[in-house]
Amino acid sequence: MYKYILESAGDINWMALFALITFFSVFGISAIMVFRKDKETLSHIANLPLADGDIVETNIEKR
Amino acid sequence: METQEVKTSTSQGGVDTFSYDDKIVRDFGIATTIWGIVGMLVGLMAALQLVWPALNITEYFSFGRIRPLHTNAVIFAFVGNGIFMGTYYSLQRLMKARMFSDKLSKLHFWGWQLIIVAAAITLPLGITSSWEYAELEWPIDLAIAVVWVIFGINMFGTILKRRENHLYVAVWFYIGTWITVTVLHVIKNLEIPYSMMHSIPVFAGVQDALIQWWYGHNAVAFFLTTPYLGLMYYFLPKAANRPVYSYRLSIIHFWALIFIYIWAGPHHLLYTSLPDWAQSLGTVFSIMLIAPSWGGMLNGLLTLRGAWDRVRQDPILKFMVIAVTAYGMATLEGPLLSIKSINAISHYTDWTVGHVHVGTLGWNGMLTFGILYWLWPRLYKTQLYSVSLANTHFWLATMGTLFYCVPLYWAGWTQSMMWKKFTPDGFLEYGNFLETVTQIIPMYQLRALGGAIYVVGVLIMAYNLYRTARSSSGVEDTTVQVAPRVKYVKAKGDHWHRWIERRPIQMLIFSAIVVLIGGIVEIIPMLIIDKNVPKIESVQPYTALELEGRDLYIKEGCVNCHSQMVRPFRSETERYGEFSKSGEFIYDRPFLWGSKRTGPDLHRVGGKYTHIWHYEHMRDPQSMSPGSIMPAYPHLLENEINTTYTKAKINVLRNMLNTPYPYNYAENAVDDLRKQAAEITAELREQGIDQEDVESKEIIALIAYLQRLGTDIKPKQ
Ligand code: HEC
Repeated sequence: MYKYILESAGDINWMALFALITFFSVFGISAIMVFRKDKETLSHIANLPLADGDIVETNIEKR
Repeated sequence: METQEVKTSTSQGGVDTFSYDDKIVRDFGIATTIWGIVGMLVGLMAALQLVWPALNITEYFSFGRIRPLHTNAVIFAFVGNGIFMGTYYSLQRLMKARMFSDKLSKLHFWGWQLIIVAAAITLPLGITSSWEYAELEWPIDLAIAVVWVIFGINMFGTILKRRENHLYVAVWFYIGTWITVTVLHVIKNLEIPYSMMHSIPVFAGVQDALIQWWYGHNAVAFFLTTPYLGLMYYFLPKAANRPVYSYRLSIIHFWALIFIYIWAGPHHLLYTSLPDWAQSLGTVFSIMLIAPSWGGMLNGLLTLRGAWDRVRQDPILKFMVIAVTAYGMATLEGPLLSIKSINAISHYTDWTVGHVHVGTLGWNGMLTFGILYWLWPRLYKTQLYSVSLANTHFWLATMGTLFYCVPLYWAGWTQSMMWKKFTPDGFLEYGNFLETVTQIIPMYQLRALGGAIYVVGVLIMAYNLYRTARSSSGVEDTTVQVAPRVKYVKAKGDHWHRWIERRPIQMLIFSAIVVLIGGIVEIIPMLIIDKNVPKIESVQPYTALELEGRDLYIKEGCVNCHSQMVRPFRSETERYGEFSKSGEFIYDRPFLWGSKRTGPDLHRVGGKYTHIWHYEHMRDPQSMSPGSIMPAYPHLLENEINTTYTKAKINVLRNMLNTPYPYNYAENAVDDLRKQAAEITAELREQGIDQEDVESKEIIALIAYLQRLGTDIKPKQ
């Protein structure tokens, strides 16, 4: 029965190749996206969690 | 402080004044704490049952039903409510907007709690689909879908009315989670109801298995991981009071992770009857996963650079550091376990259970605790009741995790070595499976101790949070003033990437495409290419009696301890018999391959023992296998076989799913069932069973099923 599965080897190559190519496109595109973004915007976004006008210190940090 | 509640926003002099809905965050926080305790106590109970099987009290609380209750409770109730707590808090603040609709928030909250209660009732009753992490039956599945959509509308509504142009990466993770869980839930639960509480799966055997682990793995990925990464990207910078180490890295982390994760499912099925190409895809993508996972972990840890002195003092940061480290450990170990040669050792053993708990106790648990300690004083506008109790909790959680995981690694390794060991003359050294079980009972004891330590920590936290809340002098929603959103004008030199990053709907569509690619390429060929599942002439559908017996096997959750998949290793074919072929499972709806061998594989158990052996073994396993930790099932000897739905089941199988039953089999199904039951009873009588009216009891159906297992391709004796 293994012969049957091996016969579909053609599919494997096709699929593995497809997977690899799409992966590198996703990876590549997101890398390009990221590196073409200007520093200012990036730092604005990165600081969003800290910029909600809601910074409270509690006894845990104050120690 | 202002006391009046500002429900809708007011706008004056270019600033909007509005309030965040903090009550919903508190509600979800309370729910996550309570369900966390419940779910972990149930887990502790299950752990103790493996040490003292006498704790399998009544059919409702026996291991096979309790284990899914535990997994569902900690995943969907504890972590689920944790996700919603963190999302509702952070989303409002990142969008600088109150939740889209308070009504939807409430519906979401109470709907989710009702679903949990429904699960807590149905699972002990044995109402289960038997798919791991998707055990709930179809009416509850529908309810989950409705509540999930409510959550989605509420989330997107909030995003659309935001006052901040940019979407922070945490929100990307929430969006990716939402869409992927939607897809997973729908495809996984394709089933045809035949009664108010039961259904038959659309897919069978190998196909069902592939979809199950595509789903199961991504339940880990998109319920336990991506939403929590979103929380990490928000709450870690919050707690450390500094921005994430590299925002660029977080974006690559996101896209690479959601793309790769979706492919990795088949690593749960290595060496099974799943075709090789699918297994290889699973392995390759799993190994690739190390890159984004470790990128994310390092990004989290490096956020704390220059703040390590604070980590030493602040229990919140301590929890978060251990959580992120555990994420790194689990995501390194996972890919290693996907390598075939390692998987050959680890699979079906308690190693897997240890691995999972590094992730759940370490990553999900600790991150939830850290967030709760951070949130509680803020949500209740007060101070934490006791910082030193929080520190105690931290140590208990860490010790608990170690005491839980290390013994299980040991146990898993020991099991595997014993299963595979041959004597010099070529016989199995431990031919009696039970020896490999009793050997690791001390490890199970330590594991239960670890679990107990962990739960004590959580109880201390609950007390601490309760006292914190009580010290509050009144809670009101946080009111803020924010400038309204400036509609974005396209500037020169702008790139198209802004187009995705600014627009949530595009974001949704893009992440959907990215995850669907993996699902489609992997699953569709399996469904349409016949030669992936070579037919075997001698494999026949189950008889009515066997079918009812199989449904009892499902109801009792035997699959939680027994696999039905003999892998092609000499150590397995020697122990169990011929290795399993994909063609043998074409009538298995659902598939019952299992994922853990606390007991031996049962795929070839048919004909191995006499009927009376099974009768006595099910009544009291220790009477046949002294020292066994299998629960006793005396109720099977008392309950009548339920034939109410036999006809309906056969009808669904034959008419809708093309199972080749004879033309009017459904009409005669119950007669046929009685006939076969009489035959088995006659044999039992001959062997010395004198229980009156045994003929109509459930045990007969179960024996019929067990004796049929794996016999279709056995040469007739
Ligand atoms: C807590 C885990 C656990 C659960 C749940 C469990 N078993 Fe077992 N089972 C074991 C262990 C351990 C053994 C080996 C010792 C023995 O023979 O009792 C075993 C052995 C068996 C055997 C003998 C297999 C052989 O080849 O010797 C059968 C048959 C069996 N179980 C059937 C069932 C059925 C049917 C159910 C559900 C109604 C079930 N088991 C539930 C743990 C479990």
